[in-house]
Amino acid sequence: MSEQEIREGMLLAVWDEPPLDFDPDTLIKRVEQKKSRRRALVGVGVATAMIAVVSFALPGLLPRGNDGQLASDNPTSSSAPPSEPVEKKAQRLGDKLAEKLDLKMPNLKDVYAHFEAGVYAYQPSSPTTPPRRANDPELSGFVYLTDDIGPTSLQVVLTKNRSIEEYICVSATTCRDVPQKDGSSVMEAEFVEGQEITRSVTLRKFPSGYYAQISSYNANPATGSGLRQMVPVRVDVLTALVTDPDVRWE
Amino acid sequence: MRKADEQGFREFAAANAASLRRTAYLFCGDWHTAEDLMQSSLMKMYIAWKRIKDLDNLIAYARKVLLRTWLDEKRRPWRRAEQRDGELPDAADATVDPDTTSAKLWARELVHTALLQVPPRQRAVLVLRYFEDLSVAEVAVAMGCTEGTVKSQTARGLATLRAIVEKLDSSSGRVAS
Repeated sequence: MSEQEIREGMLLAVWDEPPLDFDPDTLIKRVEQKKSRRRALVGVGVATAMIAVVSFALPGLLPRGNDGQLASDNPTSSSAPPSEPVEKKAQRLGDKLAEKLDLKMPNLKDVYAHFEAGVYAYQPSSPTTPPRRANDPELSGFVYLTDDIGPTSLQVVLTKNRSIEEYICVSATTCRDVPQKDGSSVMEAEFVEGQEITRSVTLRKFPSGYYAQISSYNANPATGSGLRQMVPVRVDVLTALVTDPDVRWE
Repeated sequence: MRKADEQGFREFAAANAASLRRTAYLFCGDWHTAEDLMQSSLMKMYIAWKRIKDLDNLIAYARKVLLRTWLDEKRRPWRRAEQRDGELPDAADATVDPDTTSAKLWARELVHTALLQVPPRQRAVLVLRYFEDLSVAEVAVAMGCTEGTVKSQTARGLATLRAIVEKLDSSSGRVAS
């Protein structure tokens, strides 16, 4: 096969070419559309990249306070107050409850409190700290006191767990609900066996969902011992404690 | 783009579209793909028209773009996956001289079967040299290689093509000249 034959063969190969339907204007239009689409795509990409960069960089550029929170020049009255650390709250509530109880019952001696943050009230004599549970209260503990009979304590629980409300009146001898002026309500329950009151409970329910409960038993709830005939503190005092405006539960 | 430049491109495209499509057909062996290649090449040229419009040999540049477009297209995975194994026969035309028809069919077979079996770069050299009738120097410019490479690729391409044609002829009973 000579080069001439190859040349002729190639020319013959395109002999039956189909008609060409080519319009330069259509081609130009397509290119312009492609260009505008590309420009739009680049614009969207650049905008997305800028948003991403700003969202990452902004927290670093804004001034921060000592605690790492973003600082604000004009704190508004509507903004929520900074939340108090729960350990600090436990200390504050315990001190205040002990102080108030001491005032209401001057016959008591050695009144002091010990609250734990985030642990359900348990007996301090327990050899090990019980593991955390999902329904553990925000804080709990005991207000220790010594009366004429001897040392004992009141159990205190602050929680947002609604189940605490369901069981307060179960098997109670008396149970009543007392609405308060501030929108909260107080449930008082007393349990009587024979002639003696074995347990007094006051539960205050706040509109915010908090429940504050103080319980008095005919035994020391902190130790499980020290059985006596009657509770050391009656329900009226418990209610006075739980509704005292100086005790800021929330 | 200015109206004058656009008009210049329009005239160039209209004048050379058919020629570019023919060359593309000899590269790829399929008229539809050839038309796509031609259009893609002209679109690339339109985008660069402001820069290239004053070149001395615009059609040589167009061939270069076409060749690059085809080689790029061949590298795409979906092109590699496509295997054409036949074509529907055309209806017989009784008005045409049988000898002429036979020669044309043989030429078609030469392209479809033999030329398509030649490696792409060798095929491109053969098409540019023997169909476009370009000199070695012009082919070297279009291919972006040295003249020596063009010569060696031409020699290898011819040898491959002759071997394939001989094989085809012996299998079909036709004697190669």
